[in-house]
Amino acid sequence: MEQSKTQREQSVPDSKRRTGDGETPREQEPGKRDNVIVAEDLTAYYGSFKALDSISMNIERNKITALIGPSGCGKSTYLRCLNRMHEVIGGARMEGRLLLDGQNMVDKDVDPVQVRRRVGMVFQKPNPFPTMTIYDNVVAGLKLEKRRKKSELNDIVEHTLKQAALWDEVKNKLKDSGMSLSGGQQQRLCIARTLAVEPEVILMDEPASALDPMSTQKIEDAMEELKEQYTVVIVTHNMQQAARVSDYTGFFFIEEQGDPGRLWEFDDTQKIFSNPERKETEDYVTGRFG
Amino acid sequence: MPRETFQHELDSLLSDVLDLGAEVEGSLQNMVIAMENRDASVADRELGVDVRYKMRGAEIDEECMILQARQAPVARDLRLLYTAQAVTNHLVRSGTLCEHICHAVAETDGHERDEDLEAALVEMARTARNIFHEGMDIFKNRDIDRARDLQATDDKVDLLYSEALNLIANPADGGSGSPEWRMRASLMVHYLERIADHGVDIGGRTVFLVTGERIENAMQQYMKRNTNPDEEQT
Repeated sequence: MEQSKTQREQSVPDSKRRTGDGETPREQEPGKRDNVIVAEDLTAYYGSFKALDSISMNIERNKITALIGPSGCGKSTYLRCLNRMHEVIGGARMEGRLLLDGQNMVDKDVDPVQVRRRVGMVFQKPNPFPTMTIYDNVVAGLKLEKRRKKSELNDIVEHTLKQAALWDEVKNKLKDSGMSLSGGQQQRLCIARTLAVEPEVILMDEPASALDPMSTQKIEDAMEELKEQYTVVIVTHNMQQAARVSDYTGFFFIEEQGDPGRLWEFDDTQKIFSNPERKETEDYVTGRFG
Repeated sequence: MPRETFQHELDSLLSDVLDLGAEVEGSLQNMVIAMENRDASVADRELGVDVRYKMRGAEIDEECMILQARQAPVARDLRLLYTAQAVTNHLVRSGTLCEHICHAVAETDGHERDEDLEAALVEMARTARNIFHEGMDIFKNRDIDRARDLQATDDKVDLLYSEALNLIANPADGGSGSPEWRMRASLMVHYLERIADHGVDIGGRTVFLVTGERIENAMQQYMKRNTNPDEEQT
């Protein structure tokens, strides 16, 4: 299907666009990018406070997109908008269009639970269900659906734990509590739990910030494999992590305290970390502020 | 300012590269004087600089490696480290070539020379020294417009190079110089052309440092730009 002009303009990699200052993006060949999520003028509020201003950003399928920026610039808010978790907070709302495979997820008649099945989330702090075994943690999301054969569940548990690079460490203790695992293992268990419901997109909100370096490395290795099958969007404060794992990087920024967050620059990760277009981006990635 | 220590280390690295550049320029100046005046004693002063410059180059390389390992530089910082290493390599190699030439001058002291060829060599040496100085000045001031002009200046060296090779291949009847001097002269022609190239490359590296683009790409944009002020006004 041919993309609309608006969609083409918002695709980052070919348009090499800068955002936030109204600069006209370069032309892009139509249909070249396969975007699983298209955000158009997405604006988010907490009560009367505008937290995000007019974000237009495409998420390409089977790629890892990293969101970076100083604290309070709206990157986690944007991530939470992508699976409608933003509106869970009292008084929070969003405007604009957010298309998942062409369907507007912001429509009132779209069930947010179905959106969250298709767009899963891994949080900063590992949060396995404390009373459940490792096995039950993985299949927890599936038990809300139809009944499945035990053999089918076994296959899903093994497959997703392998995808999350945890299988070898837990295959002989699947009946142990999820809380018996180390922090890094718990986080990979949460990734396996997210994968079990077969989402299209996995959102990760600083998934390794509470983990030791080896666990972080395992999560990053797992992400590299995951992108063959899934689309990953990751918020990270670790810029080396963004540089290592992602294909595209979006830099969020607020000009003045109290202003809404804006997507300041969005481009190939290599470009952002070697020769960004905008001074604020360069100052941030080189650690001169933030 | 955040990353104050890192900035201080980058400043110190840059200062080391510029200091080394100034020393190599001093050696090139002595080389020119020795050639102009047939002064073996001035050439003698530059014997041994090769080892010293290589040691300094290794120290700068190590500084860069430590900074990369400790500070994980990106963007302009990464380009600065990359460029500092590349420029240092040009400096060390130019220093080596300079010593080779000074060796030749010192060891052919008193030999009979081909005056036309010698004049071409001296002119090449002056031009190479000037190009090298210009390259270092561009790097110091990050003045990339001059880097593009420097590419054109190198054409003069190429012309002198052709002229000198022609004189070597076709010696004048009588006064063609001693065989050893002619053999050394042919090597000096090549060394001087290389020194000029290193100077041009230092300017080109500066374009990458400032813009993040290779000079070949940046040059294309430069060529396409409108240089006619009258047209710009209309």
